[in-house]
Amino acid sequence: MGSIELTAVQKSFGDVEVIRPLNLDIEDGEFVVFVGPSGCGKSTLLRLIAGLEDTTAGSISIDGQDATDLPPGKRGLAMVFQSYALYPHMTVRKNIAFPMRMAKIPRQEQAKRIAAAADVLNLTDYLDRRPGQLSGGQRQRVAIGRAIVREPSAFLFDEPLSNLDAALRVGMRLEISELHKRLQTTMIYVTHDQVEAMTMADKIVVLNEGVIEQVGSPLELYRSPRNLFVASFIGSPMMNIIEGEMADSHQASAIGVRPEHLSLSTDSGLWQGKVGVAEHLGSDTFFHVQVEGLPKPLTVRAPGDVELQYQDTVFVTPEKTNLHRFDSSGLRID
Amino acid sequence: MSSNSKQRAGATYELERGYRRMIVPAIIAVAIFAIVPLAGMLALSFSDYHLIRGSNGEFGLRNFIKLVNDKRLVNSIYVMSVLSLFGVAAQVIIGTAVAVGLHKIVGRWRLGRVLFLVPYAVPHVAVALIWLSLFTPTLSPINAFFDLFGITVPSFLTSQNGAMFAIIVADTWTNFPFTMLIILAALQGISPDLDEAAALDGASRVKTFIFITLPLLLPALLMVTLFRFIDSLKHFPMIFVMTKGGPGRSTQATNFYAYVQTFQNSNVAYGAAIAVLLFLMAALISFYVAKLNQRISS
Amino acid sequence: MKRLLATAVAATLAFGVPALTTAADEEINVVMFGMPYTNGLQKLAGDFEAETGIKANIDVIGQDVFENRITLSFTGATGDIDVVHTPVIQVQRWVAANWLKPITAEVDAMAVKSDIMAGPLDAYVINGEQWAVPYMAATGLMTYRKDILEEAGVDVPDTWEDMLSVAAKIHNDETAAIAMRAVPGQGFNMFIFPMVMRAYGGKFFEDYTGGDLTPAINSPETLEALNVYMKLLNEYGPQGAGNFNFAEVNAAAQNGQIAFALEGTGVVAQIVDPAKSKFADKTGIALPPAGPAGRSPAIAVHGLGIPASAKNPELSARFIEWAVSTETMTKIALSESFSNFTTGPVAQNPEVIEKYSKVHPDFLTMQADALNLAIGHYRPLLPDWPALGQAIGENINAALNGLVSPEEALEGAEQDMKDILGM
Repeated sequence: MGSIELTAVQKSFGDVEVIRPLNLDIEDGEFVVFVGPSGCGKSTLLRLIAGLEDTTAGSISIDGQDATDLPPGKRGLAMVFQSYALYPHMTVRKNIAFPMRMAKIPRQEQAKRIAAAADVLNLTDYLDRRPGQLSGGQRQRVAIGRAIVREPSAFLFDEPLSNLDAALRVGMRLEISELHKRLQTTMIYVTHDQVEAMTMADKIVVLNEGVIEQVGSPLELYRSPRNLFVASFIGSPMMNIIEGEMADSHQASAIGVRPEHLSLSTDSGLWQGKVGVAEHLGSDTFFHVQVEGLPKPLTVRAPGDVELQYQDTVFVTPEKTNLHRFDSSGLRID
Repeated sequence: MSSNSKQRAGATYELERGYRRMIVPAIIAVAIFAIVPLAGMLALSFSDYHLIRGSNGEFGLRNFIKLVNDKRLVNSIYVMSVLSLFGVAAQVIIGTAVAVGLHKIVGRWRLGRVLFLVPYAVPHVAVALIWLSLFTPTLSPINAFFDLFGITVPSFLTSQNGAMFAIIVADTWTNFPFTMLIILAALQGISPDLDEAAALDGASRVKTFIFITLPLLLPALLMVTLFRFIDSLKHFPMIFVMTKGGPGRSTQATNFYAYVQTFQNSNVAYGAAIAVLLFLMAALISFYVAKLNQRISS
Repeated sequence: MKRLLATAVAATLAFGVPALTTAADEEINVVMFGMPYTNGLQKLAGDFEAETGIKANIDVIGQDVFENRITLSFTGATGDIDVVHTPVIQVQRWVAANWLKPITAEVDAMAVKSDIMAGPLDAYVINGEQWAVPYMAATGLMTYRKDILEEAGVDVPDTWEDMLSVAAKIHNDETAAIAMRAVPGQGFNMFIFPMVMRAYGGKFFEDYTGGDLTPAINSPETLEALNVYMKLLNEYGPQGAGNFNFAEVNAAAQNGQIAFALEGTGVVAQIVDPAKSKFADKTGIALPPAGPAGRSPAIAVHGLGIPASAKNPELSARFIEWAVSTETMTKIALSESFSNFTTGPVAQNPEVIEKYSKVHPDFLTMQADALNLAIGHYRPLLPDWPALGQAIGENINAALNGLVSPEEALEGAEQDMKDILGM
């Protein structure tokens, strides 16, 4: 079990309101990602759930029980910190055993669970080392191991991959996803990286300035972003946002179209422009095209083998069905 | 552009040599201010030099043979050990407790830390005078307060244990801020994430302190205990002001006894022998603790 | 060899003490420990420079620091001290250690010499040479609370026997009968206890004046005296009396916590001073009680000497002459609580008389009477006295606080004396 329900949860530090009153349901077994730019309140929200911060108002219930005033250790949650927060004076074995020791689980059972976790996480050879003798990825696994053995009702991850290099990050991302598939335990994962959010989440919660901008599956967010913020935050490269005359012609104050929904032609099309910088990724090439009358160049995706020269004249045409329209308050118009 | 490769060992070599040069003054200072007096003291301890009676030019072990049979020395070592062990223990425990308390305090109350440093800033003689009056029944507000309820607070300074207790209290009062400062600095070096991780792992505050904080403080605790212990072997101002070594000779710690022999009895050579003994004890303790420290940190 | 060892001493001590500056030509360094006179003298340093053009750096430091400082300076013969505070009780030791310069000729040339009281001046004569010039002679006096004695209907005790019976009558929880110095030290309990000891006929040596320096403190007379001293402090003293020094005695008297105090004149002057104690007007002064062997007030003489290593002894002598002159002494007697001056004419100064009569009408006369009764070797004038006094004091204090019996204490004291004297 691991359903979590936030009702009118609010958090202020002094006069600064970090989390505006919000509601959120997390269902058992879900992989939920809190995503948003730094300072959006995503980590604070996670810490409120963990019990590391007290709520200013509202209530949190875990598995139907009110947990608002429960201490962190009594919430049945496990957390993996950005810094890993391994106990430096303990061996890997003792680090993993620590929560079980606190829970007074019998030694035999402890040994069994440690062995199992070490096996899953490839830590068997390192059990007698100290954290200081491990690489970043290994430390991350130890932190996860320490979380697993508690058999918590939910895992909380606070930007767990941000201290790893790019290659390791992709690998760990997969491992965590696999872990979720196998354990089927609720996971709440905080990141500022929308790629992580898109690739891992069942449900993404986009946060901005302490407010939930949208909640939904990755594809829902991709297909129908509720507002301009979500539209530009989700998707890579960023959605092109066009304001002014061109938007007016679509009865909107702003229109958005993703780079992959623009087609490029050398002889005809809706908007004429000049090729700027090209980013070749091999499979795809992203062209920055300066369309006449627009303040910023548009990003356009083209197949990898399209060859255009700098300053070539091109025509750009948006796919009608994938045009997003937004009103003057930034909300989506359907 | 001569490539005198024998002299050149790369750019970092130059840097290293610069650092090495920087410690030269320190080495010279240590040599002059530590080794010269130490050598002088050692030479004296083997001599028969008496301030009044001079010297017959005899060198030998007689001072050290005398030390072995000196009951007053045995008493002085007992007194020193009691004062140091209990005093340092109290300073480390209280200092750590206050540091842990202060560490959790954030916001403007943080400035309260300064308050705890005050006893450390007071000169030892003044500290001793304050506590002398607090332990003198006719002067002490503590006695006056309990008198109101008809309770007579016993007189501490007229028995050996009482006087040692009083000295330990004064010594602890003035020196616990030192341990507090060091422990506070060590606490600041411990990531707050660890506390939170432990909280999530189901550890209570007490268990977090015992299983996480305390082991991580161990190297600092060991260092501060060593420093305080060696320093405490030099007990003097508190005894001189509060008890003059009394009652009788019962609070003459070794350093005080060396003073009596050197300055009161003019027995400079014997005083030096006691000082040599003290030095050896301090060196031995340092050595042992340094080894222990190495074992813990590895 | 001795020279080498002296260097070793200096090297050992030198690095524990801040560096000292050496005196320039017309500049002298004076080192003294804190007392009313020395504090007063320090404030007058400007007068000396105005008069002679010599700059005097007068350093007044704590007594314990003083010991270290001079031992360093003298054993190393650094010559950085030109005039040194010289207590009579130390002068024998210092002369034996060759620390002082004989100044017979210099003192003879001083115009003030004839005005200095002969007793204290002679206390500095050793082997026919003058080693220092006195500036004060403190003695011992008893203070008593007139109101308490009146209420109890008893007279001022004249003997220690009387004191015991009066103390038994007046002692109560509010006001203890008597306090005396108790902490161990030749200048602490051993400044006061000999007043009891000598009254009962106790002595330090078999025959001090005759030259027989066999320790003789373990005598029935001293034992009787010790029992009296202990009974007074333990049964009729304030709580904690076993660790009292002059400061605690003074405070207890000024706070009205004791009826009797036996103290040096410096402290007595404060006990009876209306400016300092609210019980001053109820306090009387008497000579210390007598015993079967008479009455023996304490005496402590302090003076100024010139270290053997002083670089410019003429300047030092000029400073001493100025420091003990009637004019300088009078100024200090008026500015500080300083009544036990040894330059005679100061006592005739009407302002001085007026000032100390105001403190207490009997003060100056009682002080003179006590000084007349005091014997010069109240505490033996021997190089080893500081060591002997310390050891005896420790034993007396141990008995007082019940660590050993009085018999054991005196036996221990005698053994310690023998050890120190190498007997």
